[in-house]
Amino acid sequence: MNLSIAKQMVAADFLKIRKRIGNVLTASLLACGPVVIFFVVRAAQHSSNGLKYPPAGGVDGFTDALRLLAVFFGPLAAILIGVDAGAGDSAAGVFRDLVVTGRSRLALFASRVPAALGLSWLVASAGYAIVLAGTYVFASGAPTPNAALALKGFGFTLLAVGVVSTVAVGLASLMTSRPAALTTFIGWQLVASPIIAGISSLGDSRRIVLSQAIVHFSPVHFGDRRSVSMPAGTAVLVLALWLVVFVSLGAWRTRTMDA
Amino acid sequence: MPVDTPDSANLAVETVGLTKRFGARAAIEGIDLQVPRGSAFGFLGPNGAGKTTMIRTLLGLTQPSAGSMRLLGLPCPAERSQALRRVGAIVEEPRFHPQLSGRENLKIIAAARGPEVHTRIGPSLDRVGLTERSDDKVKRYSLGMRQRLGVARCLLADPLLLILDEPTNGLDPAGIHEFRVMIRAMVEEEGRTVFLSSHLLAEVERICDHAAIVDLGHVIAQGRIADLVGGAERHELIVEVDDEERALGLLRDNDRVTGAHRSDDGLRVVLAGGPEDAAAINALLVSAGLAVSRLEPVRRTLEQRFLDVTSKLGESESESEGEGAGVRA
Repeated sequence: MNLSIAKQMVAADFLKIRKRIGNVLTASLLACGPVVIFFVVRAAQHSSNGLKYPPAGGVDGFTDALRLLAVFFGPLAAILIGVDAGAGDSAAGVFRDLVVTGRSRLALFASRVPAALGLSWLVASAGYAIVLAGTYVFASGAPTPNAALALKGFGFTLLAVGVVSTVAVGLASLMTSRPAALTTFIGWQLVASPIIAGISSLGDSRRIVLSQAIVHFSPVHFGDRRSVSMPAGTAVLVLALWLVVFVSLGAWRTRTMDA
Repeated sequence: MPVDTPDSANLAVETVGLTKRFGARAAIEGIDLQVPRGSAFGFLGPNGAGKTTMIRTLLGLTQPSAGSMRLLGLPCPAERSQALRRVGAIVEEPRFHPQLSGRENLKIIAAARGPEVHTRIGPSLDRVGLTERSDDKVKRYSLGMRQRLGVARCLLADPLLLILDEPTNGLDPAGIHEFRVMIRAMVEEEGRTVFLSSHLLAEVERICDHAAIVDLGHVIAQGRIADLVGGAERHELIVEVDDEERALGLLRDNDRVTGAHRSDDGLRVVLAGGPEDAAAINALLVSAGLAVSRLEPVRRTLEQRFLDVTSKLGESESESEGEGAGVRA
């Protein structure tokens, strides 16, 4: 398969998920809505009582908004998009028609990942633009992040969203069912992961939790009591493990399943 | 590997002992199929006979449990990817991404098939008469329009072989007629091979020139439709006369007749020779002073042949089961 075909296949997968307007709107709302609400509420509080409530923007506002986007809602948006990319063909019953083209099943799987990454990053970038805008617009004289921190924050957002989106593609390709993959991954991220991270008796084994490894790369300290510290090498290893395992499982299922 | 015979090159589909089992149950078993190139081939069978499983196995959508196959002369699965480049298929009902337009759905498939295929999107839509609605979302298409879009999707491959699973399902009579004309044109004018599964016998008889009859996962008969319909070359007449009793006596004593009996629509007369004996039978009856008001050859239909062979299979199945054999001979 040459580069031109690969590009066309990625563009085709991007078209499929981009045109699921409801899904894209939900993902965009998840990525942008909470950040907007956060700044609006904080700005309103600050304007009502500037002594009691700090400015909505500045470094503090940036830290909280980044956490909201990159740790909570951005990954949720990425799950929606990744799952759609991973299970969309099967859900629509079109996978068999793609197989009948003679194109290798691995190529069919592989094109889903960049498509999901592209849309997830697009949505997350919109969210991050709001984070930056709020950070500077509502600084009210408080110190603001320098360009390097702003850039690192963007990189962290892309990393968090990208890893989750890719894992979601693999999981959804493995399960071939949107509802099942969504329930499993969101349940893991929102319910299981915080619980596991909070059980201190589990010790270092909690490092395997994806969101904990992602948080390690944050350019700002979120001050979460339940965060599990780990060396950078371990965090890289955990992320790589999640990616390799789920991408492999998704590829294996796509290659072997009855279409 | 399939056996290489001089005929292999002339076959669009060739299977040897193709079997697909789901657990202990065989959906298709030991299928030997030969689909000549440039033919419209009907794969006939009642619901649950294994037609869709056969198509899915041919296309590599599911792995066979045993046997071998060739598509367009290429061994599968070894060279399936290459073979499928010139194969278009509709499996079960055509499915699409509902959020995309007809044209966008074709773009998705074109992207997987290769850059040169994009130029065929317009002509394919034209061919099935969907150009005007091609930018509408597929979720607004009727079933008939989806069937046509499915055919357009097949045409993207510029297929040498079209595999269509129950393609007239959901089409109205005008749509079925249109479809029939299109298939015949593809075969006769463009030299494509069409492999068409159906349980609609009359439809297959009208569209196809070759057929295989499948039941309970086995091919019972295959060949040219004319040969299949002819069955064991039995030539039969329906005769209406004013005195059936006398006519029966005369006919049963005649060497040209191997059997004669009453039926609802007159006397049924089985000829020893060919249809040319009908004139002699007429002369025999008239010369005996009988008034012959009707003398008509019985035209066997594919449906009769189908019912003959499938019911026989059903009977032998029941007998086998009754004897506790459980295994088809």
